[in-house]
Amino acid sequence: MNFGQRLGIALSAFVAFAVGAIAVTSLLLGDNPAIFNNQPGSERAAELLALPGDVLLRLVVIVISLSVVIGIANLLYVHVGRVARGKVYSGALLASFGVAIFWHLTRQGDPSLLEAVQLPIESSLAALLFVSLVAGASRVMQKRADVWGLLFVAVVVLVLLASVPLAELAPLRAWRDWLMRVPVSAGARAFLLGIAMATVVTGQRVLLGQDRSYRG
Amino acid sequence: MKDDFSWLDDERPLERSPASSGARRGLRRFLPRLSRLPRLRRRLRARADKASAPDSAAAILEGRSDRPVEELDNRLRALRERSFGEQPSGAEAPGALFDVDEVLVTPEFQRKPGGVISAVALSKAQERQVELLKDIVGGSLDASDEGDGGRPRLSPRFSLSAFIRLALSALLVLVVALPFVSSDYAVGDLTASEERPALTSMYDLLDDLEKAEHVLVALEYGPTAAGELDALTELLLRHIVAHSAKPIIVSGNPIALVHAQNIIRKINRSVAAFALDLEANQDYYLLRYLPGEALGLRELSENFADVARVSAKGELTGLEVSALEDMSLILLIAESAEDMRLWAEQVLPETEDARLLVATGYSAEPLAAAYADSLDEVVGLVVGFRDAYIYGEKLAIAYGAPSQSQRESTVDSAPAGESPDPQGAAQLPTVTAQSTPTSLPTATAPPTLRPSPTLPLPTATPPPTATPLPTATSEPVLYVEVTADQFINIRREPTTAADILALASEGDRFETLGKNDDGSWYNILLPDGVEAWIASFLVEELWIAAGDDSASASAPRQQTLMRLEFPLRLGKNQPRFYQAQASGAGDHPEFVLNRDRKGETSRLEAMTLGALASVLIIVFGNLVSALRAFGMRRSAGPAK
Repeated sequence: MNFGQRLGIALSAFVAFAVGAIAVTSLLLGDNPAIFNNQPGSERAAELLALPGDVLLRLVVIVISLSVVIGIANLLYVHVGRVARGKVYSGALLASFGVAIFWHLTRQGDPSLLEAVQLPIESSLAALLFVSLVAGASRVMQKRADVWGLLFVAVVVLVLLASVPLAELAPLRAWRDWLMRVPVSAGARAFLLGIAMATVVTGQRVLLGQDRSYRG
Repeated sequence: MKDDFSWLDDERPLERSPASSGARRGLRRFLPRLSRLPRLRRRLRARADKASAPDSAAAILEGRSDRPVEELDNRLRALRERSFGEQPSGAEAPGALFDVDEVLVTPEFQRKPGGVISAVALSKAQERQVELLKDIVGGSLDASDEGDGGRPRLSPRFSLSAFIRLALSALLVLVVALPFVSSDYAVGDLTASEERPALTSMYDLLDDLEKAEHVLVALEYGPTAAGELDALTELLLRHIVAHSAKPIIVSGNPIALVHAQNIIRKINRSVAAFALDLEANQDYYLLRYLPGEALGLRELSENFADVARVSAKGELTGLEVSALEDMSLILLIAESAEDMRLWAEQVLPETEDARLLVATGYSAEPLAAAYADSLDEVVGLVVGFRDAYIYGEKLAIAYGAPSQSQRESTVDSAPAGESPDPQGAAQLPTVTAQSTPTSLPTATAPPTLRPSPTLPLPTATPPPTATPLPTATSEPVLYVEVTADQFINIRREPTTAADILALASEGDRFETLGKNDDGSWYNILLPDGVEAWIASFLVEELWIAAGDDSASASAPRQQTLMRLEFPLRLGKNQPRFYQAQASGAGDHPEFVLNRDRKGETSRLEAMTLGALASVLIIVFGNLVSALRAFGMRRSAGPAK
């Protein structure tokens, strides 16, 4: 790696750190006159401090919006290449894209494509997932007949039965609510705590140049 | 480098039998051959080759300009190699679910006792767990089942497990479809469900909305969750606009915005008969797409006035709202708890005294409920289609009856000597006290309720024997007039266990066909010609000459009769399904009266049956498996 390349890397890294630091400082401290002890002019100072964060935020949102367009263009480009290799499904995708655009332009306000095609298909896929889960749950003990398998089956059955609106099954709802309120909630909170800590750690690593965001 | 999906790009021709190699069979004969479009093909191929564009996502990422591998630290290098690297030598061919082996690849750690690496190595027990998970999730695939290039293909052999899975799927589909075919397969009673306080809280807050109040509605779900959350979205929007409040709809998902527009159209279609229409940028606002997930939400909270200036169609909204503080409520309809977290972190801190209402799906409930419990700002939570149905019933009860006083309670048409059913008031008791639509803009006239002529009711079977009444010489007709000051139940047969066909109130008159043997029930004729029974102690006889208009079943005093959409089948005495249909153009309450309640009910019943069938399948399957395992252990004898 020559000097120019190293300089480029250093410059891009510096820009990234600087922008990150400015954005974090502005978003954290901006628009808060209290940090200037509410001295005369503190409101103006707070507004000025908030300004870089606002501007950067808007710039990022615009860039992300453009990236959506670029993503669509890239998708089309990739599938044009696949059509050239004889991939029929890519051809179908491009044809669908064209039909959707044409439909929207010529039949404004007609929701048929979304409501009659995409929604039923995706809902059906979600329903298929449930069927697969039931089929899988029915053979858990086939693979492992032990206490953990029994516990899994018991919990699944309890939750399913508790969802049935029958008065005879009402007592199960108390058990189901306890499950959701105590063990599940504890696990969920642990997840959330982990996510929060990981976000803070990853954020500071990116800002300090120790790491790079997966977004590049 | 081959990626996970490289077999999709395998250029090698499939092996064909000699007979079929030259001819195209079936529908393929009618498809154009790309090879016969040489110019287009050559041009596109050249472009693709020139760019050397690999056509899988992984390969494209691999070719991007990024830091060289040697500059990465060990953790990132390992991640990169795992994501884009070569398949490890000797890796197994993909299984039936070809991603499973990639996700659950067993690390090839050296197990040296006492060594550093042993702390992170998988034990034999853990390896068995991995293999078990692979087996359960993906199944196994023999080498003989692999096609060209490791491409998995279905085994042509008869498989008992495949047959069982097919049979289970067919059973589930059949059970779930039954309630849509016939209403005789309903199981369960919604009244057995407990109404959650969080749902009541949400209902009350939306019911307290006043005219022209703004509600920020965030639609954060895509088509996959639309089947579950559409009903909630529609009901909540109906409830908001019924109060002439104005929903401001935003989303970080462009498809959700399109979908929201379609739901508004659906509501408009349902009220078209009343000459009502929700106008964009007047009765509701559909704001522009918020890109960038957390960043988009941050922009919304920081620069709300700017975001609210432009609609999703690029029009100026004219919305006179400067900040999020102007919102009465924030209603978040999200398919994942992650969306809820983003809103709680990015938007709520920028508001003062904000109240967040959350609607989500079953899969997100565990995380969402935990989050809701920990945030004081979250004051309402509804989950899934069940809550949507309960919410819809609350709306129907609140707005479906002609007046609040008549809605306060109903009386079961029990014969004299039996106490009236105290549960007949409503299946959701909180409605009576809390859903009084006093905050609604007063309609010009109370909606006139009439029986729906479009919904045929099943003929009463078997027809109970009625003793003919003596015919008067001047051919007067015997009517009965309701004297009870509450709603009373009209039943299919002369017993309190029979289905409830309709509700009537004081002053309603019905032509009478006869009495039952002990005289405790009158056989009456409903306005649409259906025979029914009403308890005699709740009515008084009235002889009126034939042709007297005052006795007509459609006379003014007949206005409160409500026909049920279909009869209650469990005899629980609760008037669950009002068919309350306004006949005149009124104000906004009609918005909440015109929804497909029969379809919703069938769907709820299908969910109930599906859950029961799933329980049976799971219990039976595991019971058989456990017994087999027990039998095998016994036959193997005691362990030495």
